[in-house]
Amino acid sequence: MISATNFVQLLFSGLAMGAIYALTAKGLFIAHLATARMNFGQGEFLMIAAYLSMALILAGIPVAVSAVVVIAVMGALGWALERFALRPLDRFRSLAGGQYSWVLTTMGVALIIQNVATLVWGKSSQYSPPLFSESRSNVIKVFGVGVFVEELVVIVTALVVVAFFYWFLFRTRQGRGIQAIAFNPEAATLLGVDVRRTVTLVFVLAAVLAGISGILVGPIVTVQPHMGLVFTVKAFAVASLGGFANPLGVLVGALIFGITESFSNYFNSKFGDLIPLIIVLVLLVIKPSGLFGEAKADVR
Amino acid sequence: MSADSQRIWLRNLGYLAAALAILLVPAIANDFHVHLAQTLFYTAIAVIGLNILLGLSGQMSLGQAGFYAIGAYGSALLSSQLGMPLAVSMAAGAFLACLAGLLVGLIALRARGLYLAMATLAFGFIVEIGAQRWTDLTGGTMGIFGIPSLDFGSRSMGKSYFLWVAGALYLGSQIVSDYVFASRYRRNLLALKENESSAQTAGINVPVWRTAVFAVSALAAGMAGVLFTHQSAYINSDAFTLNLTLTLLIATVIGGLGHSYGPIIGTLITLLIAEIIASFYDVSFMIYGIILLTVLLLFPQGAIGLLQKIAGFSRIGTSRKTSQPREPISNSLVATREGREVRGGGPALRIDGLTKRYVGVTALKDVSISVELGTVHALIGPNGAGKSTLINVVSGLYAADAGRIVLGGRDITHLPCHARARLGLARTFQNLQLVPSLSALENVMIGIRRRRGAAADFAAWMTSAHFDQIERGHALLLLQQFGIAHVSDARPEDLPYGHRKLVELARSIAEEPAVMLLDEPIAGLNDEEARQIADVIRRIRNEGTTILLVEHNMDFVMSLSDRVTVLDYGESIAEGTPAEVRSDARVVTAYLGVGLDTEQAKLAIAT
Repeated sequence: MISATNFVQLLFSGLAMGAIYALTAKGLFIAHLATARMNFGQGEFLMIAAYLSMALILAGIPVAVSAVVVIAVMGALGWALERFALRPLDRFRSLAGGQYSWVLTTMGVALIIQNVATLVWGKSSQYSPPLFSESRSNVIKVFGVGVFVEELVVIVTALVVVAFFYWFLFRTRQGRGIQAIAFNPEAATLLGVDVRRTVTLVFVLAAVLAGISGILVGPIVTVQPHMGLVFTVKAFAVASLGGFANPLGVLVGALIFGITESFSNYFNSKFGDLIPLIIVLVLLVIKPSGLFGEAKADVR
Repeated sequence: MSADSQRIWLRNLGYLAAALAILLVPAIANDFHVHLAQTLFYTAIAVIGLNILLGLSGQMSLGQAGFYAIGAYGSALLSSQLGMPLAVSMAAGAFLACLAGLLVGLIALRARGLYLAMATLAFGFIVEIGAQRWTDLTGGTMGIFGIPSLDFGSRSMGKSYFLWVAGALYLGSQIVSDYVFASRYRRNLLALKENESSAQTAGINVPVWRTAVFAVSALAAGMAGVLFTHQSAYINSDAFTLNLTLTLLIATVIGGLGHSYGPIIGTLITLLIAEIIASFYDVSFMIYGIILLTVLLLFPQGAIGLLQKIAGFSRIGTSRKTSQPREPISNSLVATREGREVRGGGPALRIDGLTKRYVGVTALKDVSISVELGTVHALIGPNGAGKSTLINVVSGLYAADAGRIVLGGRDITHLPCHARARLGLARTFQNLQLVPSLSALENVMIGIRRRRGAAADFAAWMTSAHFDQIERGHALLLLQQFGIAHVSDARPEDLPYGHRKLVELARSIAEEPAVMLLDEPIAGLNDEEARQIADVIRRIRNEGTTILLVEHNMDFVMSLSDRVTVLDYGESIAEGTPAEVRSDARVVTAYLGVGLDTEQAKLAIAT
């Protein structure tokens, strides 16, 4: 069956990937919360951040500095996405299919980013240098079992970022502004929330979260230009599993998803990564608002 | 020959000319162009399906490549591995894709908008990965070789034969699409896209429509995939990635979303672009990305929209001008009721012990009302008394927590909204629920029942410009009787509020209901408009329709109603004739609070 050692290792790598999915999905969650739109190129944002981080570290720049640079670049990218690919669409809401134009414009941006990455770094998979330890295969003993240091640090970092994210959303003025426009943009305006700036902030935040995910994920998977779609799909799955309306649900959903995937990969190396996705699709049929979402009626 | 029938004649001549053109392509084009035309035709079929799905029903699918792949692999494997004849394997492939569409449609049933986009994206991803890795079945990136070509055994004529089959299937799909855009299918799909509540209350079975349109778009994608398979006798998994879905979406929006001829134009443009940029393979994704952004941000109405702008039309093909009916069908507002009348001597609508709880609030507490046949029964009460909740529960938008609702002797408590509507229960909404992109007339037509099956209607559409004359005439007549026939082609947003209320009332009357639920029919109207509505209500009552009415305007209620029920905090506190209710002490207290001199209060409520 499965040894205790394997079990713990799978658990940790599942938690590590789950933490990454949580970060990526948080970006989708916050954008959806505030604007009912989101970036369908979230995975491509993650991918380009992973490449940037890899390139900077390989160029000899200290990890901390390169992380700051990558996060700044991703923030700028998020700003540009909102400013040039989303905001202009507000004029066309009433057209046929106009309510979903944002899906296609964000995908258009994703295509461009993917192409740029291919042009700069080539098509083949690359290994990003480790962030926190000497080598990718550095292990540390946990309960007497060797666990990859990188994975452990990824879990801790991701959880810290998620905690910070909650603090921001619930305890700061800007965070409450986001919740206010999520509830009712017009009322928020009357209460002094600058809706435009808040919407921009939301997409900057979403891009930054994808950026942090990209920095963290580089050393634990291989980096290649087509990796984005996988992360977009899984982040969506995770966000809808948790119910888009429930911030804690996203985290729990992501960790469950990551662990399930880790184990299903172990038992079936060929299709293992599809199993959690299929489970989520079936769950969506049974419980469309997600495991932790609240059902909301919108009739008058 | 009238202008209308000339138009139909010209249209059918156009179909004939298109068929001739398809026949002639192999004679005048070289191999390369024949191949391009083949690809154009079968790709356009998939785009037609997507256009109906996204442009009419408003459902986003990011998984069309999945259906395309299922059609392609289905027919490839059945014909090459099991040796089935092509006709069988192709039909089976398209059927499998349709079946997959039904399954994914189950998600569409429950999940809306974003969830659906996500679910279809995941579906496409799963099929893509499956095609890549299930190498025993699909050959993965190595592919399947030796798939029989659709050439009817002739090597030399094979390409022409394939072109003719693809062209014929395209033309057939185009004609069906044209019919969908001209008929009640367009109206119903737009209704469920833009205003689900009104679609349900007009008797449209929203889940069935939603799923069916998904299955149809999957069928179209599957047909395209099947043809693709037998075009080149070889397929591999590289053909069925998200990029295919995106290409189909690009073709849909480039052509013009929500126009019947958008798909063929969009597919043509997309294929031409693909040919032009084939030599810039390195940057092809970037070019596609830039095209998506450019079209959506600068020309969101697509090629058709641009052409219309150039030609100076504004809304061609979306709503055609309505000619006045030649003769009134009947002077009665409620034209025919076809046995939907309430039988027996019992009340038209009986509400028994109805209870509805929201979180923390009991909006309705054991409310019982008996609405007698052919009467106007008013429901009054202070704000928050539960009046609108009662209407919502009775019409089926909310489920009751306890109690029974009986319509003409039939228990409808557990029936879905649309089924209640079909049994003769119509309603209007307090805040209007019209379909924004349909004209006033078309909004009324949503309420009219279908008179014949789809096949008969399609045949009528093929042969006559007046295939929906009876529906149109009936709807126009209603608008005429309300004095707003002159605005029948206007969209709701261009109408004054009072007119919009009349349009909604006309739509619910068009349903020929046994019982009508009117939620604040004169709120926000001026005196003249209110009088007009009162006249209409009296007339439909006199013609035998039963009415349950919620309204705050006391003059209106008292002058119009046969009986009045008073709700307060979700409970029925009084019932009787207007005069009885007016002098009921509990009612006075509910409206004005305690501590007031009763005579004074009566005076207040009476005025």
